Amino acid sequence: MIEFERYTLKNGLKVLLHYDKATPMVVVNTLYDVGARDEHEDKTGFAHLFEHLMFGGSIHVKDFDQELQKAGGESNAFTSNDLTNYYEIIPANNIETALWLESDRMLSLAFTDKSLEVQRNVVIEEFKQRYLNQPYGDVWLKLRPLAYSKHPYKWATIGKDIAHIERAEMSDVKKFFKKFYCPSNAILCISGNFDSGSIKHLVEKYYGTIPGGKKPARLLPIEPTQKEFREKIIQRDVSADAFYYAFHMSERKNIGYYLADFLSDAIGKDQSSLLNIALKKEQNMVSEINAFITGSLDHGLFLITGKLSEGVDFDTLDNALWKELEKIKVEGFSDRKLNSLKNKLSTAKAFQEQGLLNKSISLCMFELLGDANGINEEMQIYNSIENSDILNFANSILKRENCSLLKVNKTK
Amino acid sequence: MNRKNAPKTHKTGAISFVSPEKILLNESAPLYWLGDISNETARIDICFDAGLRKGKNSIASMTSSLLLSGTSLKSSTEIHNQLDDLGAFFDIGLSHEGVMVSLFALKSNISEAYEVLLDAITNACFPESEFQEIKAEKIQKFKININRVGVLAQRAFQKQLYHGTEYAEVSNEIELQKVERTELLKFHKANYVSGLFKIAIVGALAELQIQHIRNISKAFCIKKPLEFKSDFFNKPGAIHIEKKDAVQTAIRIGKTLFNKTNKDFLDMSILNTILGDYFGSRLMKNIREDKGYTYGIGSIISESGGSGYLLIGSEVGKEHLQAALDEVKKEMYLLCDEKIKKEELDLVKNHLLGQMLKISDGPYAMMDLFLSVESYGMSSDFYNSYIQRIHDIDASAILRMANAHLNWSDMSVISAG
Repeated sequence: MIEFERYTLKNGLKVLLHYDKATPMVVVNTLYDVGARDEHEDKTGFAHLFEHLMFGGSIHVKDFDQELQKAGGESNAFTSNDLTNYYEIIPANNIETALWLESDRMLSLAFTDKSLEVQRNVVIEEFKQRYLNQPYGDVWLKLRPLAYSKHPYKWATIGKDIAHIERAEMSDVKKFFKKFYCPSNAILCISGNFDSGSIKHLVEKYYGTIPGGKKPARLLPIEPTQKEFREKIIQRDVSADAFYYAFHMSERKNIGYYLADFLSDAIGKDQSSLLNIALKKEQNMVSEINAFITGSLDHGLFLITGKLSEGVDFDTLDNALWKELEKIKVEGFSDRKLNSLKNKLSTAKAFQEQGLLNKSISLCMFELLGDANGINEEMQIYNSIENSDILNFANSILKRENCSLLKVNKTK
Repeated sequence: MNRKNAPKTHKTGAISFVSPEKILLNESAPLYWLGDISNETARIDICFDAGLRKGKNSIASMTSSLLLSGTSLKSSTEIHNQLDDLGAFFDIGLSHEGVMVSLFALKSNISEAYEVLLDAITNACFPESEFQEIKAEKIQKFKININRVGVLAQRAFQKQLYHGTEYAEVSNEIELQKVERTELLKFHKANYVSGLFKIAIVGALAELQIQHIRNISKAFCIKKPLEFKSDFFNKPGAIHIEKKDAVQTAIRIGKTLFNKTNKDFLDMSILNTILGDYFGSRLMKNIREDKGYTYGIGSIISESGGSGYLLIGSEVGKEHLQAALDEVKKEMYLLCDEKIKKEELDLVKNHLLGQMLKISDGPYAMMDLFLSVESYGMSSDFYNSYIQRIHDIDASAILRMANAHLNWSDMSVISAG
């Protein structure tokens, strides 16, 4: 059980406080309700580029990192299709430094040309390092537009194209900040060994005077229900054929999310998962096979990916895979399997709850979904899953007409 | 409030380093136990003297991948199912100097899970089908990875760093093809069945459980203490590996150093931080934050049983290779020529003290800190000395250290891309 206190400042900033006296540290985590899904289709990759610019100095502070390091703290951030998250980890007695820095960049950035120019280049190198210069690195750039035709999940967080990043201008940066980076669009979670008597006063001191702004309305195009199977084949200079089956699934708030997470663990998380045993161990068709979900807030994807064993072709795998999926749709799983999955989730949860940063990010995420207390309720949901739920769920999504398949053909 | 003024900062408080209880498995192998933990989780690390140094690369690596592949009584699937039933996870880490198998579970289940795991490891019989499967998988992975510029550069770096010793060997496809199951059986018998050299337990277990773990483990322990090779000397000079279609070039620059037992270790660690081991380091500030040549650049000091090395690594835009190398060289010269300014040194000191606090947060962190000094016959006092040295070190000591260990001409300089 993770205890926390929740309140909202006058300017709309939601605040979560989680006190943990066992640690000497404090984590200040700030989640902004903006991600790549909020970008314009002609200016993709911007939410992520902007995250880099948040470290380029704010209105009163020239060098964010330097000030933080002086106080023994460290910081990082990440952007997803759904949200942008920033954190500082700092010795508890220097909490004020983190609040000062994080609140100042919520108030306003410095907007220097140098920062924009350098971070454009850094992000271009990141694009190359992660997506272009790796075997199979660009599959997500191809798979997203295959699975999504309308919803902005059709582009990756890094952006559709390097050119979009190259073209980013200061006026875009300023507009983006004004629209999305305001207290009413943010959730602040402070966790760790803070002084509970003065913490609210400190939060008010640093955040209370920031103009609240208006929470931007989100009107995203709705992805039409997929009606027929889609397939795309790309040729790459790699040494094994690879496959990516993507099935549409429900949004994060729906019970279907938990079922999808559970099902993906059961069929493709580790060596004892069903597809690993059937297609790898018993039939030697693949050298690896995995199932996982994207974890998106809007309607996400359930994926089955892997690489073919030498000498096996895509059709053989396809037949064998669907045979296994059909079996699941009829039989589901044994009680033993369901119980062991629940036990593993309990263990994982117990370990996760020890990480201060982990807890802080999760609290913010659940608050974004509507209630931070969701962090204390999810295990109950997993524990209530029964075989009949899995059967219904598997039958509703593991269908050919709900599937997009990307094949990577080796050229060698 | 004037937002231009930074809030007052406070010194990092004292850290009390906790050492685990030491229980002997036999005269050469210890069991360490940290039981003061207030939640339900537990971890057991088991270390075997079965690292890459003990056999040809691919044999050590294949054996470690097949530790849970089945015994004469249980199939691989049954072993995994039993661990799953107990909600347990495991992780296998292979290095030059050992294999560490880590088991994670709730304390109520961990003894039982440990029995399953230990039985699987010590009685592994490497069934032919499992062997063929892992062999095919390793070959495929090798073929995929050999196209990564980072892997190409790292392999070449390892050859230069350890040249002339068995540590320099890197696996290749032909060698992987040739491996036979009988070699794994032999390797397993020599290095696992009587190669257990350490167990570390974190978790509020009962004394009886610890005794049980000790009793079922001791038969597999090494008979005499481990010894490690220490006379490594890297081969300086530049090597470029051309990869035509690459859009980035991987860089690896480094040289042989030493481990924690050396008198220069603490000062060198602090110098390494200044050079490239935090976000505000000289390398990051110059090569990423000023020039934008890369997404990231960093330097580390890595240790082995008897030695250690410095490594600077990055992936830079192909067109920036020469400029990036020039800047790394320039930063090394600068550290050798100019005393670090007080402001920067103070910042690094504060950063390091904050990091020290962070990495000693909680019982798992305490055990990890302990294990990383215990291997060198040292105690957690090491960290008190380190903290003291962070407070005491001055610019002249940093300059001395740079002149002793940051000479460009001593470096092995690898680029691939």
